[in-house]
Amino acid sequence: MNEDLNPILIVEDRATDIDLTKRAFAKRHLLNPIQVARDGEEALAYMDRWRAGEPLPVFILLDLRLPKISGLEVLRELKKHSTYSSIPVIVLTTSAEDRDVAEAYKLGCNSYILKPVEFNKFIEVASQIEVYWCALNTTPTT
Amino acid sequence: MPRGLLQLVFIIMVNGFICATTTSAQTPRESKKVLILFAHEAQQSAQIIAEQAIRSTLIKGTPDQLEIYSEYLDAARTPIDSFEKDIVSLLRRKYEDKKLDLILAFNTPALKLVLNNRSVLFPRTPIVFMILEQRNLAELHLGSNVTGIWAESNYRSNLDLALQLQPETKRVVVISGVGQWDNYFRAAVKEDFQPYEGKLEFEYLTGLTVSELQKALSNLPPHTIVSFISSAQDKARNNTGNLEVLRQICPVSNSPVYGATDAQLGLGIVGGRLTSFERLGIVAGEISARILAGEKPEEIPPYGVPGIAMFDSRELRRWGISEQSLPAGSIIRFKDPSIWQLYKWHIAGILALLALQTSLITILLIQRKQRRLAKESLAKLNAELERRIVSRTAALDAKTSELETFAYSVAHDLKAPLRGIDGYSRLLLEDHFTSLNVEGRSFLQTIHSSVEEMSQLIDDLLAYSRLERRDFNPDHIELAPLISRLVAQKNRESIESNVDFVVDVNGSSVVADANGLMQSLGNYIDNAIKFTRKVPRPRIEIGAKEMESTCLLWVKDNGIGFDPKYGDRIFDIFQRLNQPEDYPGTGVGLAIVRKAVERMGGRAWAEGKPMEGATFYLEIPKSNGATLTNE
Repeated sequence: MNEDLNPILIVEDRATDIDLTKRAFAKRHLLNPIQVARDGEEALAYMDRWRAGEPLPVFILLDLRLPKISGLEVLRELKKHSTYSSIPVIVLTTSAEDRDVAEAYKLGCNSYILKPVEFNKFIEVASQIEVYWCALNTTPTT
Repeated sequence: MPRGLLQLVFIIMVNGFICATTTSAQTPRESKKVLILFAHEAQQSAQIIAEQAIRSTLIKGTPDQLEIYSEYLDAARTPIDSFEKDIVSLLRRKYEDKKLDLILAFNTPALKLVLNNRSVLFPRTPIVFMILEQRNLAELHLGSNVTGIWAESNYRSNLDLALQLQPETKRVVVISGVGQWDNYFRAAVKEDFQPYEGKLEFEYLTGLTVSELQKALSNLPPHTIVSFISSAQDKARNNTGNLEVLRQICPVSNSPVYGATDAQLGLGIVGGRLTSFERLGIVAGEISARILAGEKPEEIPPYGVPGIAMFDSRELRRWGISEQSLPAGSIIRFKDPSIWQLYKWHIAGILALLALQTSLITILLIQRKQRRLAKESLAKLNAELERRIVSRTAALDAKTSELETFAYSVAHDLKAPLRGIDGYSRLLLEDHFTSLNVEGRSFLQTIHSSVEEMSQLIDDLLAYSRLERRDFNPDHIELAPLISRLVAQKNRESIESNVDFVVDVNGSSVVADANGLMQSLGNYIDNAIKFTRKVPRPRIEIGAKEMESTCLLWVKDNGIGFDPKYGDRIFDIFQRLNQPEDYPGTGVGLAIVRKAVERMGGRAWAEGKPMEGATFYLEIPKSNGATLTNE
């Protein structure tokens, strides 16, 4: 892991999913440090840490079903903010509900990806995310 | 007397009595015979009026059969004195056998004749007379068995009435003829008018011809009235007759003409207190009937019948005399019939029609009101129903939303542990490969395929339940591009298969829910790919045909087919015909198709035979709930 690289923030309540995500990224040799928020409240608390000078994440992987504050609420708060709204938010969830997809895009999510059950596919997805958001995509410098 | 003989006598007596009674009862009562002797000619108007009144009153007042004879002496034109004896002898011979029950003598010459010859002319027959002047009785000896009536002298009362109606009158012109009776009446009138001499100027036009009268009457000074007495004969010895004279002079007179009798009314006289021949006839008829019924003439002493105030409505109008100024009880003749009299049946008819219409309209109004009330209560009921529907729908929506949340949770919560199982078994296989023997590796492989299967099942179930909940959005869809997109996608997904796709949809289009149609056809194609995997040259035909009211689509394959007896069951959820090892599947795919198509108002079915391929059909109506609203 390279401390010089900006982190990736994973907002996810399930420990196994966090672990599997980390492993998936590891298998793709992603070097960015991984930050974890276990619920919506913790996710929003990151905004204070960024304000205090901590580096902004390259992107945020956001689950929708979260304890305390829902993923869509977190998304709304982030996208309302003048600076933090440019952080790419990738909704990574099990819900294929039209309603959730539509609402997430309305609130400004940058990508909506269904969480695959099969680990191999999950690794594939992690790889795609890494390639796209870390290598191809450009975000405004802060 | 022997007993038998006595009996016989008795019987004969009784029988005789009975016979006598019967005979007398059977003999018809003899009819009453009445002779009316008229002084003047048969066609004299006054007499005609009187005769009609007498006859009808007699007939009405007498229960017996009546035979009424009339004789006319024509004494005014031909005085009868010189041949009185011949007339008497004729009448005697004519009526001797008739046994007259009553003689009615009309006017003085007739009465005179029967009284003068009483001894030879039916001396025991009662006589009822009817004369115009009471003073004529002075020169007659009535004798016994005689009674009658006279017209009360009315010249003076007539003049009084005329002056009452026209108080500004200064001059009275009196018209009379020079015949025997003319002279008689004039003399009587002169006597009657005596009290007015000096107060009014009287001019007597006596014996003038009709043309002289016409000339005189058309040049009368103002404030004049004319009193017509009689004109049986003028100085040129014309017997024109009262009525004819009046008929000719009244229209040209510039002053009102007052007459003497009801026979003259209608010929141009104003009217006056008139001798009514009708009234005289009725009274004489009534007296005659009483005598025929048995009363003695002596019990009914002679008396005068007063004149009646009668007027001609047209003349009243002509001379500007108001009906209100007439004495009470006056009879007004020749009134213009009122609108009511003229049209009473029309009016009654129209009123009846109006009443009918009114009642019909009323009925209609009542019905309309009833309908409106019914409508209002219906509207109320509808509103109540609507309210209930809204509240129940809200409850149902809440329930549905709860179910959605449940399904959502199922998806999330069931898939998360699956992901853990697969993830860690995969990591075990990859990162600890060397620590595992062949059996252990195969177990992990089984875990992996089980997870895959479970995940697919959850996805299918969610898709099935999503169909229920998703809004139905009908759209106009061209089939050709939709199918080529689907085929491309399916080719991409199953690279290892070498299916030969043949698409021919004839440029058909449908109105349907795009998502539902896409999913249905996609599932059919997935199915076809799956069941052609083991045939040497897999081939899938996709076709469509527009029917009259529907569009038919089909996906035909040359795969393993199926037993037709299961044709319908394969659309049931979780229904599978093959071992999962051979043909993996969840048994939800075709259930999804059927549900999606039924939501579009269409149907889905399949035909096939084992090892001979299968054809899966979709039939979608062209217009129903799926009608486009924006077209």
